Amino acid sequence: MVNLIINNKNITAPEDSTLLEAAKQNGIIIPNLCYLEGVHEFGSCRICSVEVVGAKTLMVACMTKVKEGMVVYTNSAKVIKARKVLYELMLSDHSKACLSCNRNLTCELQKLGETLGVEENRFETTSCRTEIDKSISITRDLSKCILCRRCITVCNEVQGVGILNAQNRGFDTLISPAMDLPIGDVKCAFCGQCTVVCPTGALRETDSTEKVWQAINNPNKRVVFQTAPAVRVALGEMFGYPVGTSVTGKMAAAIRALGVDDVFDTDWAADLTIMEEGMEFLHRVTDVLADKKATLPMITSCSPGWIKYIESYYPEQIPNLSTCKSPHMMLGALAKSFYAESKGLDAKKMFVVSVMPCTAKKFECTRAEMQNDGLKNVDEVITTRELGSMIKQAGIDFNNLPDEKFDEPMGFSTGAADIFGLTGGVMEAALRTVYAILMGKNLPFENLHVTPIVGLNQIKEATIKLEGVLPQYKQFEGLEVKIAVTSGLAGAKILIEQIKNGTSPYHFIEVMGCPSGCICGGGQPRSHDPELRKKRMSILYAEDENKHLRQSHENPSIQKFYDQWGSPGCYKSHEYLHTYYVDRSGKNN
Amino acid sequence: MNKITTIDQLNEIKKKYLAENGKYKFNILVCGGGGCVSSNCQEVDDAIRNELNALGLNDQVNVFQTGCMGICAVGPVALILPERIFYTQLTPKKAREIVNRHIVGGEVCEEFTFFDKSLQRFVPCIDDIEFFKLQTKLVLENCGMIEYDNIDAYIAKDGYVAAGQSILEQNPEKVIVEVEKSGLRGRGGAGFLTGVKLRSGFMQKSDVKYMVCNADEGDPGAFMDRSVIEGDPHSVIEGMILSAFAIGASQGYVYIRAEYPIAIDRLKEALNQAREYGLLGENLFGTKFSFDLDIRIGAGAFVCGEETALLASIEGKRGEPKQKPPFPFQQGLFKRPTIINNVETLANIAKIVRNGGQWYSGFGLPNATGTKVFALAGDVVNTGIIEVPIGTTIGSIIYSIGGGIPNKKQFKAAQIGGPSGGCVTKENLNTPADYDSLNKIGAIMGSGGLIVMNEDTCMVDTARFFMDFIRDESCGKCVACRVGTKRMLEILEKITQGEGKKGDIELLEEIGETIKLTAMCGLGQTAPNPILSTIRFFRNEYEEHINKKHCRAGVCSAMFTSPCENTCPANINISGYVSLIAAGRFQDAYNLIMQENPFPAVCGRICTRPCESKCRRRGVDEAIAIRDLKRFVVDYAFKNEMPWKVQMTFPKKKNMKIAIVGAGASGLTCAHYLVNIGYDVDVFESEIKAGGVLAYGIPEYRLPKDILQHEISLIEEEGVNVYLNTEIGRDISFKQLREDYQAIYVSTGTQFPQKINIKGENLDGVIHGITFLKQIHLEPNFKLRGTVAVIGGGNTAIDSARTALRIGAEKVIVVYRRTIDQMPAYFEEIVEAQEEGIEIMELVAPLQFVDDGKGRVKSIECVRMELSDFDSSGRRKSVEVKGSNFMLDVDFVIPAVSQYADLPFIGKNEIGQTKWGTFVTNPENMMTTMDGVFAGGDIVRGPEDVISAIADGKKAASSIDLYLGGNGLLNKGQKIEIPSVYDDDEIVYHKQFDKEMLPPNHRKNTFDEVVLGFHKLNAIEESMRCLHCERR
Repeated sequence: MVNLIINNKNITAPEDSTLLEAAKQNGIIIPNLCYLEGVHEFGSCRICSVEVVGAKTLMVACMTKVKEGMVVYTNSAKVIKARKVLYELMLSDHSKACLSCNRNLTCELQKLGETLGVEENRFETTSCRTEIDKSISITRDLSKCILCRRCITVCNEVQGVGILNAQNRGFDTLISPAMDLPIGDVKCAFCGQCTVVCPTGALRETDSTEKVWQAINNPNKRVVFQTAPAVRVALGEMFGYPVGTSVTGKMAAAIRALGVDDVFDTDWAADLTIMEEGMEFLHRVTDVLADKKATLPMITSCSPGWIKYIESYYPEQIPNLSTCKSPHMMLGALAKSFYAESKGLDAKKMFVVSVMPCTAKKFECTRAEMQNDGLKNVDEVITTRELGSMIKQAGIDFNNLPDEKFDEPMGFSTGAADIFGLTGGVMEAALRTVYAILMGKNLPFENLHVTPIVGLNQIKEATIKLEGVLPQYKQFEGLEVKIAVTSGLAGAKILIEQIKNGTSPYHFIEVMGCPSGCICGGGQPRSHDPELRKKRMSILYAEDENKHLRQSHENPSIQKFYDQWGSPGCYKSHEYLHTYYVDRSGKNN
Repeated sequence: MNKITTIDQLNEIKKKYLAENGKYKFNILVCGGGGCVSSNCQEVDDAIRNELNALGLNDQVNVFQTGCMGICAVGPVALILPERIFYTQLTPKKAREIVNRHIVGGEVCEEFTFFDKSLQRFVPCIDDIEFFKLQTKLVLENCGMIEYDNIDAYIAKDGYVAAGQSILEQNPEKVIVEVEKSGLRGRGGAGFLTGVKLRSGFMQKSDVKYMVCNADEGDPGAFMDRSVIEGDPHSVIEGMILSAFAIGASQGYVYIRAEYPIAIDRLKEALNQAREYGLLGENLFGTKFSFDLDIRIGAGAFVCGEETALLASIEGKRGEPKQKPPFPFQQGLFKRPTIINNVETLANIAKIVRNGGQWYSGFGLPNATGTKVFALAGDVVNTGIIEVPIGTTIGSIIYSIGGGIPNKKQFKAAQIGGPSGGCVTKENLNTPADYDSLNKIGAIMGSGGLIVMNEDTCMVDTARFFMDFIRDESCGKCVACRVGTKRMLEILEKITQGEGKKGDIELLEEIGETIKLTAMCGLGQTAPNPILSTIRFFRNEYEEHINKKHCRAGVCSAMFTSPCENTCPANINISGYVSLIAAGRFQDAYNLIMQENPFPAVCGRICTRPCESKCRRRGVDEAIAIRDLKRFVVDYAFKNEMPWKVQMTFPKKKNMKIAIVGAGASGLTCAHYLVNIGYDVDVFESEIKAGGVLAYGIPEYRLPKDILQHEISLIEEEGVNVYLNTEIGRDISFKQLREDYQAIYVSTGTQFPQKINIKGENLDGVIHGITFLKQIHLEPNFKLRGTVAVIGGGNTAIDSARTALRIGAEKVIVVYRRTIDQMPAYFEEIVEAQEEGIEIMELVAPLQFVDDGKGRVKSIECVRMELSDFDSSGRRKSVEVKGSNFMLDVDFVIPAVSQYADLPFIGKNEIGQTKWGTFVTNPENMMTTMDGVFAGGDIVRGPEDVISAIADGKKAASSIDLYLGGNGLLNKGQKIEIPSVYDDDEIVYHKQFDKEMLPPNHRKNTFDEVVLGFHKLNAIEESMRCLHCERR
């Protein structure tokens, strides 16, 4: 521990902690902007400048480490003045269309102005950045960019994609893909992590709400909504609920109140995915064990950002991908076929909207192969944030809504489906089912949780030895199934490099494109709660544990579906529920 | 080639090289520095070799190229040994002639050697040239003296011995200790102790460490590092080897900017040579120590000179700085401990290790040892590279080594430390060039760029230039620098375009201070320095730009029509009347001048013509003779008719009375303008004639009385009442004046001679200058005889001397304590005086006037003076040479040092006065501290020129009108259409056309006017020389 004095107060702080952390732990708040705990320590905004006695200049608290005997002032007149001038400078290079900005009242820059008590704006704005770059998933409005570079750190270091970087120099600096190409023209995975960390309205999902409003208000359209597992654990944050509140019932009610005809749960399709993907895995392993041609390790395919990444950067590894469509695509495909038929609806008049924690899914739903019978599986994807906005726009008193249930037949799900929203969840769900099928008994882990793959580490792995398999699967006897789980593309890159180099020991790999999985997807509400990931994760596990049925194959609704449909992996399944991938390495996008 | 593993091998190479060299009778060293390369030294080199070839002298003469010799302004240059004759501004033709006359004929071609402009003579031997004499070359010792492309030449200068011994002894500690003892501080700018740096590098625990040389020299106008690398690359390599050995690095990089292709080539070649000798690579000197060195070429971003950005650039990343700490010595290149030093620092290391730290610390100052290389650029005679002991004053660098300011311009400021530095003004010329002293005045030592600026430099525009550079070079990482510099630049641009507003200066200071405090790296933290520094020293210039929309240097062209008009205190439309003369409309030209100046005939003769000093035609050949053109039209108008009165519209009477005290140029001008807007004006003059100092202070031969009286009479005819022989305080009380008049303008001038305050000043035969001139005026038959000594160097002194000569003195000596070129008197008056036979005794000061025993002066005890450091006006102080006293026998002495003001009619406590007795006035409206009492001219300014007094009078008229409820607009007559006489043909070179003058032997006995002015045809031709800067 180190002793220092901040604002005349003697404090101790762990060695290696920054002034910002030390101050915070002692109840002293130092305003900051570009800093993002654990992610971005960069020092570009200089707002957290503090006076360190003996230093020639002010020091940035976010990057200055505590030292024994340091004397620090975080709120001297000099500091307060400097911060205000810095803020004014920053503001002078920022579009001031706050009232018509998507981030109005949630903008960190705006909030900072209030925090700093800035009352002057002495500079005329001359910004060199005016263009708006709209791709299918992500919209960049550089007039609102304050060059904090959080997006760059996330794109380069957290995700390892690296399509965003600073271009030009000095005042002409702008954040963009190389050669200032539109983001839609480069190999962006559309993971949207940049939109989550952006403090202003410079980076956001491309708006889809307008089209959804039009569909809802079109009497000829039957509008079907589905919500991904991770949406329900974050939507509440937009309505003042503390981080880590599940609002499943209110969410279903609110969507219905928007005027939506069918409110389905993507969770149902998650159970379905496990059936399809589990079978695919069993087939692949069977083939390999029989020396037939099959590609292992198999990699999950639910994460469209990850899919676009592998198509762009590792096309030769496409055969490793499961051919399963992602759950919401399956649901969309079935809504317009299975459901429409059973209800006697005209599938052409159906409009399927997926509410996703994801920005890449906006791109996914436009993929040419994501259609059946000449109809798109999913018509529009909106993010959790967009759903929240629509609920607000519609004047729905979300907080006082009674809980409602999803519509049948695609509304019921098991606990396995809930954990699809977090890293390790898909793998765990698959293992629960595959193990049960092979062994005729439950997965031998406490509470069905495969503990080695639970948690927020970048790469997690486990080995499950199959001993005492059911006779019809005797070829699996003694097999040690090696699995790996990762979230975030940087981790995925490590695993796929192993595959590429032939050193991958795994049979089955789960990849989620966003760190921590969909709970922290690119379309989720933005929050700086340091416990955010853990809190959101814990509710999904709780949802799972609170369910009576926790294994996908036990879902009676799924069983009923297969009674009518056929079996997992049947021809029809391949037609509607599986897909293929495209080599995108040669071209941008 | 065998690898070198012993010191003996080095000695062997040295011996062989020297023996080889000793065979030649002559060595011709052709400068191959960057400056000389661009002035085509290669052609000169070829010409010398070809000529020697043709003459078959190859075996007697060794020709080789060296690095920069330093004096780039006169390149290409060459040095011939053994005589050490320094030839400048060579051409192939001159080179061939030198070979024939010097090498063959043994004759020094003096006319091709260095010409010292201040001494006005050629200085053939390099050791006699002031520029070189005052330098101490340690870093540049070999630069310009040895072949840059031959490692043997470096070894012959004991090169690589230090590295060899250190490595063979396997004692890094010793290297560090010597550097520590030397006190060497980083020459890149910050001045961090190099020994401490090496020590901290040594202390770091790491398997890999790096040594980096920062050669990203990016300051505009700086080329020290380039010169060192180009001229003596091995000194840098050896410095790198020693430093790497000291810290335990096995890999080094030289980060050099791509704009230095010659330096890169020479360094590459040097690296190859060193590798060949085994001085780089594996197992140096047969030991376990391995070290290799690679070049990394930077794309030329200024910020990459900042160490963390430089390292990022070497790593292949965007050249952006990182937050420190961690410092590079902890976590540098590829996250390993890295020591970065600047080229010049490294070039010192081998010498320090070889000669010992003690030796090095003997140069310079105790806390800033050694020497510093500076790149002298800008408005200085000897531009180039110099090296001086740290602590040499800025003044001696500029004046003694730099040769001062060319074209007789005034020194204004020197920018030191480039865009991160600040300026040194004339008040600070005695500041020693060392880290701490410069910091104190808001500048920095920096890497050694020294840009000299003369009076034609606008400091606001200079600040704008540096800010433009920095804005362009900011990396864009942090807000402070990225946006702050842009906003500062925008404000500066507005100010220089005449759109500045109140509060801008304070805003600049506020942003500047914020950037300094909060920017991430050194670039940002120092970015506002040029602005803050110019605001500190030249705030008045900023204020003039903002409040008066005036750029005194005539640079910010958005604020004026032409530089001449901008410079004229009275704002006369000069380009306008020059155009009218060219069109033959002399009468209109006269009228146009009269709009702004009611004394054109006076000004046409004795104006100090600041306009001509700013004339753009100077850049072509010679300024337009603006004053003489003015005189021409006035003479023409007086000869022909008097149109002025006809032209005036009679103003409506306001029935308000204004009193003007003093009928000099300022008072009468004020009266002229006031009467023309309807005031009743009474002018009170204590003397018996109007005109003030124009009437009695300026001799007839310069300003004939009738000319002056004619202009005064024109003003009287307008209705101004002039009461002569009426002294305020004697004839009318000042109190009465204030009661009777609505406003008063005091323009009494400075009419009392300043005493020298030495013994004997009251003796008979001692007459003070202004008193003397007045006496001549009042007593036309006053005579002098014998030897007359005049003390002083101003106009009064020269006027007194020339007058003395005209009233009977046989011999006139002007005694001046400084040098002739520092005399404040008009240059042409001094020349004319000398032509008339007046002797000027420079660097002499009187100690006392000696009595002949009868109360009359007999002689002056004088003492010789010499120049020392600089005074606050930027001139060198003159100090007595002890024991050099001598007697000067005289019959009369006229001390003429200065004048002062003394107004008996106003109590000193009643009105604000300065310590020199001049009035304090509000610069906005010229009002004194007494309500309704305005003042202008010399009573406010101290002794100054007539055009400023006229300008004051005019401005006071406007202010008085405003004060009395008017709109302040003066009645200047009808608008005069100006013809366009633009000549788009190419410029024909021609100096000023001749004026007619009385010959010296004729004029010295009469008071006839000396200058007779332009002939009409010459006047028209002269006017056609105008470049018409007013064109936009």
